[in-house]
Amino acid sequence: MSTADLAITPVRSSLLSRRPTLVFILLGCAAVLLLLLNVTIGSVHYPLAEIIRILQAPAEASTSTAGSIIWNIRIPRAIAAIFGGAYLAASGLLLQIYFRNPIVGPYILGISSGATLMVSFVMLTTVSAGLTMFSPYLNTLAAFLGAYAVMFLVLVIANRVGGGVTLLIVGLMVGYLCGAVTAILTALAEKEKIKGFVLWQLGSFSGFKWDEIMLLLVGGGLIIGLLYLLSKPLNAFLLGEEYAASLGVNIRRFRLLILLCSCALAGMITAMAGPVAFVGMAVPHMARLSFGTSDNRILIPGACLMGAVVTSLCDLIARTVMAPVELPLSAITAFFGAPIVISLLLKRRVKL
Amino acid sequence: MNRASATPVLKVHNLSVGHKNIPVLQGLHFACEAGQFISLLGPNGAGKTTLLRTLSRHLPPLAGNILLRGKELTKLRALELARIMAVVLTDKISPPLFTVEEFVALGRYPHTDYLGRLQAEDISRIQAALQAVRAEHLQRRQFSDLSDGERQKVLIARALAQDPQLLLLDEPTVHLDLRHRMEVMAILRDLCRCQGITVLASLHDVDIAAKISDRVALIKDNGMMAWGSPETVLNSASVSQLYNVEQAVFDSALGSLEMRSPTSSGKAFVVGGMGSGALVYRMLAKKGFAVATGVLQKHDLDFHVARALGAECISVGPMETIDGAGAEQALRVLATCDFVVDSGFALGPANMANVDLLHSALRQGKTVLSLRSDIADLFAGDEKNSLYLCQDADQFLTFLDTMDAMVFDRPAPLSVPQPESM
Repeated sequence: MSTADLAITPVRSSLLSRRPTLVFILLGCAAVLLLLLNVTIGSVHYPLAEIIRILQAPAEASTSTAGSIIWNIRIPRAIAAIFGGAYLAASGLLLQIYFRNPIVGPYILGISSGATLMVSFVMLTTVSAGLTMFSPYLNTLAAFLGAYAVMFLVLVIANRVGGGVTLLIVGLMVGYLCGAVTAILTALAEKEKIKGFVLWQLGSFSGFKWDEIMLLLVGGGLIIGLLYLLSKPLNAFLLGEEYAASLGVNIRRFRLLILLCSCALAGMITAMAGPVAFVGMAVPHMARLSFGTSDNRILIPGACLMGAVVTSLCDLIARTVMAPVELPLSAITAFFGAPIVISLLLKRRVKL
Repeated sequence: MNRASATPVLKVHNLSVGHKNIPVLQGLHFACEAGQFISLLGPNGAGKTTLLRTLSRHLPPLAGNILLRGKELTKLRALELARIMAVVLTDKISPPLFTVEEFVALGRYPHTDYLGRLQAEDISRIQAALQAVRAEHLQRRQFSDLSDGERQKVLIARALAQDPQLLLLDEPTVHLDLRHRMEVMAILRDLCRCQGITVLASLHDVDIAAKISDRVALIKDNGMMAWGSPETVLNSASVSQLYNVEQAVFDSALGSLEMRSPTSSGKAFVVGGMGSGALVYRMLAKKGFAVATGVLQKHDLDFHVARALGAECISVGPMETIDGAGAEQALRVLATCDFVVDSGFALGPANMANVDLLHSALRQGKTVLSLRSDIADLFAGDEKNSLYLCQDADQFLTFLDTMDAMVFDRPAPLSVPQPESM
């Protein structure tokens, strides 16, 4: 650079004056509000004063019915919805960056199909009859196994094939294979077992235990923290692998790391809540459009927060609209999410 | 400041490049100095992109060494490499929701902290990069909304923001309109001259490359056909060999390509000189006429154009008076031609013999097309039955179509114009 170039008076730059703060505050408030609503509203009605009293006395969890409902059912569920939404959104965001394709979501690589396959073994057949000692956790365990088995398969393949599109197709094929086995099992299964299985496939945050919540908090929290630190190379990755490499990103290692983080997050939620559709695919778009940026330093926390808000809201709707019947979560997320994404796209007129 | 130093920015020794052990180019040797503009020329598929991808470490070299500022390329750390070398690729990228400024800021990657936060220094570098490519006015625009030309400039700005010493570009002017093509080339040349950056670019325009490069590499048939300054390396033979073309001929003095076309019509004799014939030759070649011309002084502009177009060229030495042997030879050739064209050359004591040529053509009853605006004096004493006047190039081209029909006895596309009556 010549001295003349260095003497340029800095033009007021948009780089330092971006203000996503307002959106963050709004989303944060919405998340807290929805958390409170999810705790206070339910099929059994309690007056507000009663709820406040119970919240101040965690010990009541095991002594009274109301305490048990609030502490062991509603609060874990509300927190699980927040984590679930956040992690699925982060997972979807990562895969959209990885494939540079806006229509992929966390389940594009077959994770949910793997989980579903293993759960169908448990729920539709009698192979698990001897394993009753694990029974409360059996579904979770099976889903965990299925999700992570598919994830490792995908990682091994990703290490061998270069192109993103190839991996995408491999993921889809693995999904179809798992789906085929599941379909056969469904055809052979007894009628009454099928309804439970179908409902599991639509996802639900009910029945979360506190130790599952702790696992989500610690395991997922670590991954999200790591991702935030990776937001700089993730930004470079938006230019494509070759440009990212020319900027100094170690592509091979980084590719695996993105896939690993994304699959781990989605697998964790899928194992515990079943496949929750739509959130992972749509929330990254909502976040991008509301924050008006592709900068991952903003989008990673932004998408997590947006995911938490959207999922909490949908869970609230699923529980309350036709109470006491609970609607399937995946139906609500799609019902409310799809129009939002469409309207955002039309309003902002951006190409994604 | 010029980064001139003893070690070349890039030195390549006995390099082989290719995919999966199948070499595309072998035994490459060259060195690029600071501030040089180097063009890679060659036909599609010759391996220019493969070479660039190897130099930027996207592909491993199959053999040989690449030294970047004296250090082995393969041993550099990724960030260290990113501070020395930047690339502009042909991939069409359009990340959503990026302003131009944010996009260029990504180029600061190797200089920022672990979260990529920008300091005042980074901002001023980004501004400088945008100014260097004359794109300050674009900085608030969305990157995905830019035109191809603007996008290419911004891609170069992004590479500049890396503060590189070596810039690799893969076909930076492809898909651009004339204005942006020239602008991008001028920007790149300024980077070499003013900022001492070494630019290595694969190009398709031989004529532009010849005018801008310090070095050109001709890439063909598994290796480097030639390396050196364009003035020594590029000539009609090497360019024809490089692209394996006979239709177009490069003339180093003109610095441009002339299109030859297979002769499908008759033969025209052009009496020209002093640049008056250049356009006439091109029009004749375009219409498929064989061309003979004379008498020209060597190194007249017409001489170069006629030779590049493959015309039969009767000439005398530079600055010599046209007479004697030259004129006689011209007359012999003229007799074999179907018609004669008077290009409207300027008259002077040195080329009176050419005027005599026209007189004798008319005496022989040859058709003479004249592009001269004032013919009164010149053809005062001549038989004018076969003299046709053309006011402008359009009329001349219409005449040529008519000639075509007459020579080959085809139906005339237009009615035959009447001889000029005076």
